[in-house]
Amino acid sequence: MNRGVLDELLSIARGPYPLLRAWKKEAQRKIIGSTLTDVPEELIHAAGMVPFTIVGTNKPIIKASTHLPDNACSQARSDLELVLTYERDFFDGYVLPQVDDTSQHLCDIWRRNVPWDYFESFLLPRQVDRPSARKWLLDETLRLKGSLESFTGNEISEAGLWESIGLYNQNRQHLKRLYEMKRTSHHFMGNREFFDIIKSSMWWPKEEHNRLLERLISGIDKTDLKDKGDEGIRVVLSGIVWEPPEIMDILDESGLKVVGDDLCVGWRYIGADVEMDGDPLRAIVDRHFKKGPFTPINDKGDRIFENLLDLVRQNRAKAVIYFHIKFNESQDYDLPDLVGNMEREGIPIFVVETEYQTTHLAGVRTRIQAFGELLAEE
Amino acid sequence: MAEKRPKAKDVMKQLTKDYYGGALRAHEENKFIAYTTAVSPVELFYAHDIIPIYPENHSVMCLTGRMMPRLSLEIEKRGYTSHLCAYARSDLGYRELGESPIGGIPDPDFLLACNAQCFTLTKWFQVLSRRYGVPVFVFDTPQYIRKDDARKNIIKYVEQQLSEMIKALEELTGRKFDYDRLREVLGYSAEASRLYKEFLDLASIKPSPISIFDVLIHMAITVYLRGTKEAVDYYRLLIEEIKAERVSKGIGAIPNERFRLYWENLPIWFKFKDHSEFLAAHNAVILTSLYAHAWSYDFDVSDPMRTLAENYTSVFSNIELEERAERAIALFRQYSLNGNIMFLNRSCKAVTFGVLELKDMITEETGVPALVFESDMGDPRFYSEVQIRTRLEAYLETLDRLGVG
Repeated sequence: MNRGVLDELLSIARGPYPLLRAWKKEAQRKIIGSTLTDVPEELIHAAGMVPFTIVGTNKPIIKASTHLPDNACSQARSDLELVLTYERDFFDGYVLPQVDDTSQHLCDIWRRNVPWDYFESFLLPRQVDRPSARKWLLDETLRLKGSLESFTGNEISEAGLWESIGLYNQNRQHLKRLYEMKRTSHHFMGNREFFDIIKSSMWWPKEEHNRLLERLISGIDKTDLKDKGDEGIRVVLSGIVWEPPEIMDILDESGLKVVGDDLCVGWRYIGADVEMDGDPLRAIVDRHFKKGPFTPINDKGDRIFENLLDLVRQNRAKAVIYFHIKFNESQDYDLPDLVGNMEREGIPIFVVETEYQTTHLAGVRTRIQAFGELLAEE
Repeated sequence: MAEKRPKAKDVMKQLTKDYYGGALRAHEENKFIAYTTAVSPVELFYAHDIIPIYPENHSVMCLTGRMMPRLSLEIEKRGYTSHLCAYARSDLGYRELGESPIGGIPDPDFLLACNAQCFTLTKWFQVLSRRYGVPVFVFDTPQYIRKDDARKNIIKYVEQQLSEMIKALEELTGRKFDYDRLREVLGYSAEASRLYKEFLDLASIKPSPISIFDVLIHMAITVYLRGTKEAVDYYRLLIEEIKAERVSKGIGAIPNERFRLYWENLPIWFKFKDHSEFLAAHNAVILTSLYAHAWSYDFDVSDPMRTLAENYTSVFSNIELEERAERAIALFRQYSLNGNIMFLNRSCKAVTFGVLELKDMITEETGVPALVFESDMGDPRFYSEVQIRTRLEAYLETLDRLGVG
């Protein structure tokens, strides 16, 4: 494997802002920030700008608590803190998606307190199982297109949009190829490294990121994929984010190998491709409905549980590790039934309550290690 | 001899008794029960002869009956956290323990969650959906942002969902939906909403004949009976009664009205009587709140689907903060308010997360200083009696020093 390329990708994931600032200066491109999840990045790219998915900060909360009460989800507070204190002038504009009460209020607070040249709320449907949801998302995506065009003064052409879609599909396919290698070989890549590469994709211009991934993949040879020793315990991750990042190191240290996930900074970001057929906007909208379930979005029946069960079975996983963001109300409501259902199916599930800014992970480490040991004994 | 006019309070008691009695008999009478949220197009249920039940209202009865934290503790044992909405916690606790101040509510055949009011309801109803094996219909109302193109699309989307909901109700009951009946029901809703607003606006009179505490009692009828003739008759009676007994005699809700206060958020249900008495002793009275105005709809009966979509999407909890502030500021002017109590309600993220911003916007525009404090609308574990009383006293002293009122 080309270690130099891997290191480059990891350095983006571990500190994107200075690197991207330097790149931006050179490339003279505007950067548009979005919070999690489901903003159609291809549109922003086709408008000539660089989409960037904001995934909070682990630096201390200083200003956000004067705008959002402390029982707001840790994700929302960290996202807000990032742009209020640490990267106030990094972004040229924002497209913030709304999926629940917190993200709805966050849009208003952000719009009023953070400097921007461009701001748009992206109103995602909060139901997906009726025809109206698709029509609505198409209308909203069209509105976003018009809004981006007004800001840049340039029309987003159909050909340009297809080009951006192709670029993003390619990126997703590269990442899925790496995931498959991670799944099938015993020690190809650690959890932290792999999920850091996905993060770097959310943060680095896609043209460049594709080039890096191509160099990484072409440098992979048989020795990288050769099984060495035990595979470890196959687990599926569930939740939204994995923060603070050291939590993924703990999984690596504990011999837990991630073979599937439903995270917003994981499979939800890379799983579905845009079909390169018909009308590009419709194709982007169709992609949204191909994604797996997401906790704030109401879906048919108990799809979150059923999807997780499928992930476990298809990937021959032994257990589920669920990352629960502190004060995330949506997860709070899901968890008791989800845990009960998994237990009824005989699948061990371990819930880790995570919070940005957590510095003492000793307790979490001990509990994850104990869970790993328990699984190893079974 | 003229027949003695019944008292509104007694009528309310009877209406409530009949409503819950009818609901409890519904399944025996082959009627369907739909759980719904307080801000939702309930007119569709009344038009289709389905009985709407509001778990929130039942929860309010549990909270005022001081059944918390007992109900919450029961579900905390089962993995739910104490950070969740107190309505949801008391409802889920009731379902485990079966304890209720009114002997319970019937199980649902259908669940409607309108997220204009809050997102929590969707998640709460999903839990109920799994428990009872009935579908939850999410009536999705995107934030009514102030952009013409967005608003046009939003209303179109919400209208489409009304049609989807009608189809779902037809499938549930096996009966065709009657649009003429919808017009009739909407006529009652429009009139009840107009009268309800007239009732709220009595608080603009000096001294105010009503306080928010009267509003919180009498609002229940429009919440669960709008769409019926009974609700219309009730508010007519109530307004006439207040005018005859208080307005015409210049009698205020409290003896010496000096501080006319705005209240932001839902009330602290298990304390609102205490708060009323405490404030009255300091010549202060809370007169209104955007929360109370959430049911002041302005329906245009000529276009039922459109007017339902517009009214239920533009409720105060689903608009941008600037517009919400404007609506609050309009109440300050209309009701001549000179004080502002802003409650950060741990239970209600939908209303609370904007309050810190809202405070600055309202204070800047009105010049009225605000008191901000945190507690919970239903869980006494998050209520600090001494601290809140001290803060209220200090606030009223500040208003006094400033020569307010």
